Amino acid sequence: MESNLAAGLAMGLGAIGPGIGLGIAVSKAMEALGRNPEASGAIFVPYILGIALAEAIGIYALVVSLLLIFVA
Amino acid sequence: MAEEEGESLIHVAIEAEELFGIGPLSFTNSMVGALLTSVLLGLAAWYITRRSSLVPGRLQSAFELPVELMTGIISGSSSRWRGYASLILGFFLMILVANWIGLLPGVGTIGIAHIEDGHEVIVPIVRPASADLNFTLGLAIVAFVMFVYWGIKANGAGGYLKELVGEPRYMAPLMFPINLISEFSRLISLSMRLFGNVFAGEVLLATMIALAPILIPAVFLGLEVLFGFVQALVFALLAMTYIATAIAEHQTAGHDDDQGEADAAHADHPTAAEAAPV
Repeated sequence: MESNLAAGLAMGLGAIGPGIGLGIAVSKAMEALGRNPEASGAIFVPYILGIALAEAIGIYALVVSLLLIFVA
Repeated sequence: MAEEEGESLIHVAIEAEELFGIGPLSFTNSMVGALLTSVLLGLAAWYITRRSSLVPGRLQSAFELPVELMTGIISGSSSRWRGYASLILGFFLMILVANWIGLLPGVGTIGIAHIEDGHEVIVPIVRPASADLNFTLGLAIVAFVMFVYWGIKANGAGGYLKELVGEPRYMAPLMFPINLISEFSRLISLSMRLFGNVFAGEVLLATMIALAPILIPAVFLGLEVLFGFVQALVFALLAMTYIATAIAEHQTAGHDDDQGEADAAHADHPTAAEAAPV
């Protein structure tokens, strides 16, 4: 019971940071695209990498909550 | 009581389930998924190259599309991209097909029924390979070994160690363990990211199908098609930038001034990846 609550809290709180980070990354990428649409090719790879690294934090929270549910 | 109900509504298995065992070896359902992926890729490669023409037909250009996309990205990563292009392409295609196999109808639902703790549990015959940590960790280990190998090949073992020790030599006792941990954390984050995303996608789909079986899951299936593609791209691109930085550090550290124009044109990608800690 406690571990289920902890898993929910871990995922919910752990998703706040990556959510904000992803929002900032996407908004800046769109801004850059709006200013210079020809740069879409140059922006694409660093954009995907940045998104992936921000999202990894959320995945860590997911792994922690899965461990709490299935192992603890 | 509520927990009991939730457990019977959707069956979630975090590890791949054993179909049959040969002595101490167990054959799991994610192995079936991985084999299916390999067979599909092999068949596609055989079929397309058997009747390939210079002017591609509709089917051939559909199969050439992902290869062309990835080759375009890889060739921009460093001047020596030909050495690792096939590895990155292999990662991309393998993960892409492995992710999308999980979306086929019947993959998570057709299985062998077991009686476990009084109620019936279905063990699926096919499980998408990338929803198993063993598969993703295996791919990450291949990527890890390859970028350490490329780093040592480009800089020599001494150069690679110097890279780990860091720039001011007196900081070595502090920086060496940190750099070592960050090298190995790439392994963990590469494998965990792929596994977490695909597994979470499977659980999400199972939950949605259990809650609202009509029409609603279609939206999430569409999302999963996108996520499967993005995760394959992310894994391949991260492996690519790790290798590209392992090669490029030699070029920037050795002769900074007499760098050719060709390297300077590609310098933006390695530096962008260097800023990324994990």
